[in-house]
Amino acid sequence: MEISHRPLNRVDLLEVAGRVDAATAPKLKQQIEALFADGRYRIVLDLAKLEYMSSPGLRVLIEARKRAREWKVTDLEGGDIRIANLPPKIREVFDLTGFTSLFEMYGDTVGAVGSF
Amino acid sequence: MDTITLSADLDALTKISAFITEAAELCGLDERATWQVQLAIDEAATNVIQHAYDPGNSGTITLGWVREGNRFVVTLHDTGRPFDPESVPLPDINSPLEERQIGGLGLYLITRLMDEARFDFHPQEGNVLTMVKYISVSPRDDVVLMPVMGRVDAVTAPELNKAVHTQIEAGARFVLLNLSDVTFLSSSGLRSLLLIRKELMTLGGELRLAGLQPQVHEVFALTGFTQVFAIHATTEDARAAFGLGRV
Repeated sequence: MEISHRPLNRVDLLEVAGRVDAATAPKLKQQIEALFADGRYRIVLDLAKLEYMSSPGLRVLIEARKRAREWKVTDLEGGDIRIANLPPKIREVFDLTGFTSLFEMYGDTVGAVGSF
Repeated sequence: MDTITLSADLDALTKISAFITEAAELCGLDERATWQVQLAIDEAATNVIQHAYDPGNSGTITLGWVREGNRFVVTLHDTGRPFDPESVPLPDINSPLEERQIGGLGLYLITRLMDEARFDFHPQEGNVLTMVKYISVSPRDDVVLMPVMGRVDAVTAPELNKAVHTQIEAGARFVLLNLSDVTFLSSSGLRSLLLIRKELMTLGGELRLAGLQPQVHEVFALTGFTQVFAIHATTEDARAAFGLGRV
């Protein structure tokens, strides 16, 4: 798994590539928590190059989204984890596990970043 | 049977994945089935690595595969503590984010992605998980695909019964119900499906179900009927499975 981080003005873009399994999921968790620790709670995950994700990766995503959404600027505005470019194979895992309805998903990173 | 034995730690996962991917391709599974097997085996191996052995008391994990006719059979063996699949909570796949619990996803994925999964514990040998993926050959050309839509409850179940029965009277024996547009299934619906299944089996046929939405799958899971019905993720998977064994 490779993660590259691009800090934008209000949003942080994390590009996650390769395999997210039980061995690598903790690294993804760490990276997201490091952003939280800096007070950065608006995160877009660009998954275009994600090849594989098993349930430990799903767990990281769900816990991170719960945490991000606890952070609020106003009642209408706050933190979130949004997903861009979910590959079809991973989409199938999302569908099977009921994850599809849990995330806001975008067809490209521009749309995802702009949604904040 | 081709096997590989590895020390049960997380570094083993990529080796297991490479081993099983090569085996699946060798057996002629298509790209999608190969990927489903890869994910199921990875989930199973993760469970063993994280839960079978006490910390500091590392053991091994042995993976084997064999092709038996049109069945790609994978076994996963460990000598850790007995694993009882009944002890794992059903995953929570319908609730909103705030209430979502995250247990049981791995086991759930194994049962959804593989065509068969059986857990055995032997006092001497340890845990053996046997998983089977059907290899699609030339699919039967006499499968009758019937889409089902909306709610299947006490009111609508008789209609479903009647529609299938009409097909059976016209000679249908291999019936595939596409449930992807079913939003709700009640116990009357389940009863209907059981009757249809029984009738087809009596006639030497098969009933298969495909495309269940999570809340519908849950009805089967809660009542233990996932073990009774042949349930497939997609209609393509179901088509490939007709005539291959488990009904």
